[in-house]
Amino acid sequence: MEAEVRPLPKMEYRAPSSLGEALALLKDWQGQARLLAGGTDLIPKIKKRAVAADLLIDVNRISGLSGIELGKDGLQIGGLARLAEIEASPLVREKAPALTQALQIMACPPIRNRATIAGNLCTASPAADTAPPLLVLNASVRLQGSGGERMVPLAEFFLGPAETVKRPDEILTAVIIPLEEGRSGFLKLGRRKAFTLSIASAAAFAKTRGGRIEEVRVALGAVAPTPIRGRKVEETLKGKEANEANIAQAAEWIRSEVKPISDVRASAEYRRDMSYVLTRRVLGKVA
Amino acid sequence: MELAYLEEVRKLLHGRDYHVVGTDVKRVDAVEKVAGLAKYSADYLIEKAVHVKAARSPHAHALVKKVDRESALRVPGVVEVLTADDVPGENQIGYLVEDQPIITNKARYCGDIVALIVARKERAAWEGADRLQVEYEPLAEVFDPRESLQSSLRIHDHGNIAAEAKIRKGNVDEAFRRCEVIIERTYRTGSQDHAYLEPEAAVAIPTGARGVTVIGTNQNPFRTRHTVARVLGWKDSEVTITTPYIGGGFGGKDTYGPVICSLAALAAVKSGRPAMIVYTRYESFAYRFKRGPFEIKYKTGATQDGKLQAIDIEYLVDAGGYATWTVGFTKRAAYHATGVYSVDNVRVEGRAVYTNNLPNAAFNGFGNPQMLFAVESQMDIMAGALKMDPVEFRVKNALVPGSRTGTNQLLDHAVGIQELIQKVAVQADWQGKRKEYALAQEGNKRRGIGVGCSWHGCGTTGFKRDWAGASVIINPDGSVSYSTGIVEIGQGTTTSHAMMVAEVLGIPFEHVRVDVNNTGTMPDSGETHAQRGTIIVGTAAVDAALKLRKRMNRLASEMWECSEEEVAFEKGETYNLRNRSQRISFSELAYEMYMRGIPPAEYGFIKARRGYPDPETGQGDTYAAYTFGCTMAEVEVDLETGQVDVLRLVPGVAAGKIIQPAVARGQVIGCGMLGLGYALTERVQRRDGRMMNPSYTDYQIPTIKDKPEMADLVIVEDEFKYSGFGAKGVGEIAFIATPLAIANALDQALGIRFYDMPLDREKIYFAIKEKKGHGSRS
Amino acid sequence: MQIQFKLNGKIIQEETEPQETLLDFLREKLNLTSVKKGCDEGECGTCTVLLNGKPVRSCLLLSAQMRGTDEVTTIEGLARAGEMSEIQEAFLEKYGFQCGFCTPGMILTAKALLDENPRPTVQEIKDQLEGNLCRCTGYEQILESVQRAAELRAARR
Repeated sequence: MEAEVRPLPKMEYRAPSSLGEALALLKDWQGQARLLAGGTDLIPKIKKRAVAADLLIDVNRISGLSGIELGKDGLQIGGLARLAEIEASPLVREKAPALTQALQIMACPPIRNRATIAGNLCTASPAADTAPPLLVLNASVRLQGSGGERMVPLAEFFLGPAETVKRPDEILTAVIIPLEEGRSGFLKLGRRKAFTLSIASAAAFAKTRGGRIEEVRVALGAVAPTPIRGRKVEETLKGKEANEANIAQAAEWIRSEVKPISDVRASAEYRRDMSYVLTRRVLGKVA
Repeated sequence: MELAYLEEVRKLLHGRDYHVVGTDVKRVDAVEKVAGLAKYSADYLIEKAVHVKAARSPHAHALVKKVDRESALRVPGVVEVLTADDVPGENQIGYLVEDQPIITNKARYCGDIVALIVARKERAAWEGADRLQVEYEPLAEVFDPRESLQSSLRIHDHGNIAAEAKIRKGNVDEAFRRCEVIIERTYRTGSQDHAYLEPEAAVAIPTGARGVTVIGTNQNPFRTRHTVARVLGWKDSEVTITTPYIGGGFGGKDTYGPVICSLAALAAVKSGRPAMIVYTRYESFAYRFKRGPFEIKYKTGATQDGKLQAIDIEYLVDAGGYATWTVGFTKRAAYHATGVYSVDNVRVEGRAVYTNNLPNAAFNGFGNPQMLFAVESQMDIMAGALKMDPVEFRVKNALVPGSRTGTNQLLDHAVGIQELIQKVAVQADWQGKRKEYALAQEGNKRRGIGVGCSWHGCGTTGFKRDWAGASVIINPDGSVSYSTGIVEIGQGTTTSHAMMVAEVLGIPFEHVRVDVNNTGTMPDSGETHAQRGTIIVGTAAVDAALKLRKRMNRLASEMWECSEEEVAFEKGETYNLRNRSQRISFSELAYEMYMRGIPPAEYGFIKARRGYPDPETGQGDTYAAYTFGCTMAEVEVDLETGQVDVLRLVPGVAAGKIIQPAVARGQVIGCGMLGLGYALTERVQRRDGRMMNPSYTDYQIPTIKDKPEMADLVIVEDEFKYSGFGAKGVGEIAFIATPLAIANALDQALGIRFYDMPLDREKIYFAIKEKKGHGSRS
Repeated sequence: MQIQFKLNGKIIQEETEPQETLLDFLREKLNLTSVKKGCDEGECGTCTVLLNGKPVRSCLLLSAQMRGTDEVTTIEGLARAGEMSEIQEAFLEKYGFQCGFCTPGMILTAKALLDENPRPTVQEIKDQLEGNLCRCTGYEQILESVQRAAELRAARR
């Protein structure tokens, strides 16, 4: 059951102006510190005592981590880029439309004006709407710690609800989306028409040539402990002709790939059925 | 309310057009609200106020054996721990049934208040509540009303029945024997949370040796005052309730107002300091009383010609741990059980049963949304069995002037329902759409159109009393000070009152000021609920204004040596109809009253024009007048997901004279969305007496994107003779019909009828799946 | 700790603590009670203020986060020289309020839209206001108020 929102507990607060400073603080405070980026997930969690922090490290004053640009590795989105900025970016709309579509129907403008892509990914809710699009786009994330930096494919990033491979002393500083020819799209099912958590969500990427599906990827959210790829769906569909029957047949496989739970928002059975419907529909959008 | 006020006013105004009533004015609260100056209860931040937090039982049914005050008093900053023993007056806040303590020794629902923590700072109050040690003796719990009926478990000593309602009219058994079509079904309606944006709050300030002023969220200042006085052991006159702006009420603050204000007052008086209590959104969701669940067995009979002959109804209400307002809506449901139709033979047996669920509150509709879901579903099923169009069937049976209701009340006028249904049908293109959607539809979507009709008696149910007061004071400069106990909860009623007073006095609306809502200075007007604010309390305002007019007319007639009937008041001027050169400004005439010692103030005080029905037969004049509503809804269902999209809502009301058209429109649309939310997006999810989704995250009220296309409002102004300007009430009617219309539209779209409200999406989805033959739900 | 930022056009300087939200700071330290606490977790919109012109949830910000270059706008900051802004006039004219509790947040969020997009479509207005809950109006007259505000602004230009 939901916990009650209470006044924030006494905490300390620092606002470093450089990444190095932030990393040093993280290291010093050894897991007792939390990174404050958008705060849209963290602050409610601390109010509900689901998360504790002796120190809040406000990373909003660090410059250079919020750009959206094309680099040699592809589309680079700074970890601290606001969801609203990413949504409004013509570059993202062109190169990663599934991500734009997800952001358009995620939360609401006042939340998106503060929430960051790093925050959404690191909070690692199984229902995070940015994850399925980034998964089908083969995104990777850059993690920087005081010991150095590493790139992690997003497909390996999530471990479970609220659990990722990011270490307590690391900061997610960028999301890299390799450029690839093809189409991507996103769909979500909520309990009302806006400002609602996904009961199930699906993103897909496909490249078709001459009516044949050369490459296809599909990812689902809110139907497993982490956002997942539908690999059996992909294997079945790859190489086939892009038509309704083939898509429907391939989408059936998603039923055995998801591991939904029943909670206050939806039943496992409904989520499983909706996984099929959304998978089929989102594939129909891109293939 | 004995005067035919509508005619009295028309005569006084010499049949002229209204200058104020029926127009759109700047509401008296408008500037403050859009400027951000409007203050609500929690905005009264008194610096040295102590903070109050309720300590609550985690058990749904338990005896409180011991409250270890020390465990909380030890927390730095905690100054008081108040238990049931500390209630100085009577530990009783029950409404119609005296079964409810303010702080309890026996928890009867999960969250029942067992102690109050009073602390110097908010955080200390939280900590005190966390650390308070309470020893409980858990008792067996019951959460199902049917189980409770049969159980020997006693939640209250006086037994498990909280309320009853009976109707006996005509001869039901004999009538059914005549019926060629008989339909019997069982319907269930679930709870709903008010979810108003402002949580409950109250600030109490001790005044002098024996006095307290409470600024708090409520809809009934005088009942609140009486409850606070009772709890303190004081007289009504020693307590003052001053009601600020209210951030949404819908009945919730009607029921909960006396509770939250009593909690603050107790803390203030015991600590000798101003005391503040503000509920968190969690508390408001988890522990504040909500719409009551019903289970209704409804049997309808008609002859082949399509005339309704008889209804036989049995229903059970889950009252929760305390009776609160359940008594009222259990009765209202019975009085409205025929729906807007003429039925000569009626048998109704309704019972509300105690359980260990959360008690119920008043909530928009008050028993009608529940009962009329059954009625309007039955009407559709009956129409189908009779091979009649659902609208045609309703029109054929609709109440008309001269009809008698199920309680045998004669409605000789102000019965606009038949005309309303027909007009809404035209607005909605009922015939065209019904035919179109009856044809086979392809693809994954299905459309349907449905109708819901509603009625709602204006005036308090359940009590013998329904009085209303209003005070009009003409100041020496001709401005008018107006005062009423009706609370501004967003519905704009006090503006309507000011408009009516201005119209009668023939002065500009802007010259009437609505004074602060304070029990020390304003007349007792009863509760702000049951659509009574305009029709009943507004009539008290008109009553006061009429009395003043008579005096002023007499004064003018003396000054001009003409008859009193020839004096006209218009646009701030008074003149002799026969000789227009004889004129004086209203302000000069007002001053003249003062100079001559003629009382410039008047008190309007009336009681509602109704009786109190016989408890065994329910027969009697239950309400002064009835407002009628009709809504048609067009829906589209996604067969693969069960999502229901309301394409268009076509609402209509027959609410007598509309005083403020734009405000009435806002009420109707707002109520429509409340109804859409109840039907499709909101669910109070309970397990073992606990709400599992106590947050806006998981209790989903409609957003701006959930708003369907709203057709232009259909209005039938079926004026009521006995109210000022012929107005009835409009605050609840449009809510009731909306879920009914959606459910009936779903039936056409899917060929599946749902007997439960809310229309749970997964229920819809799995029903579609089952119908398609894809197996039933595991 | 001391913080300093621009509020409704004036520089303010005040004491705060790390755990104080911007919402509590505005209400309790500065008595700007037009900013409401409807849920304290970002889910209702009644705490919405403008931060550097953009609508944000003040219950999800710490006052400590405000810098000297930040500008916070509450509804008190919309009126100029005692005159209401066009958007407030429009809400008055078109009955865009009933109980008024959601109104400050709603007006600020709508104003931010009109500042960036002077002629928004109905869809764009809905997109902007989707996170501001209202329980009273059913949103129709709010929509009409924003459209009227756009008209009034265009007329005054």
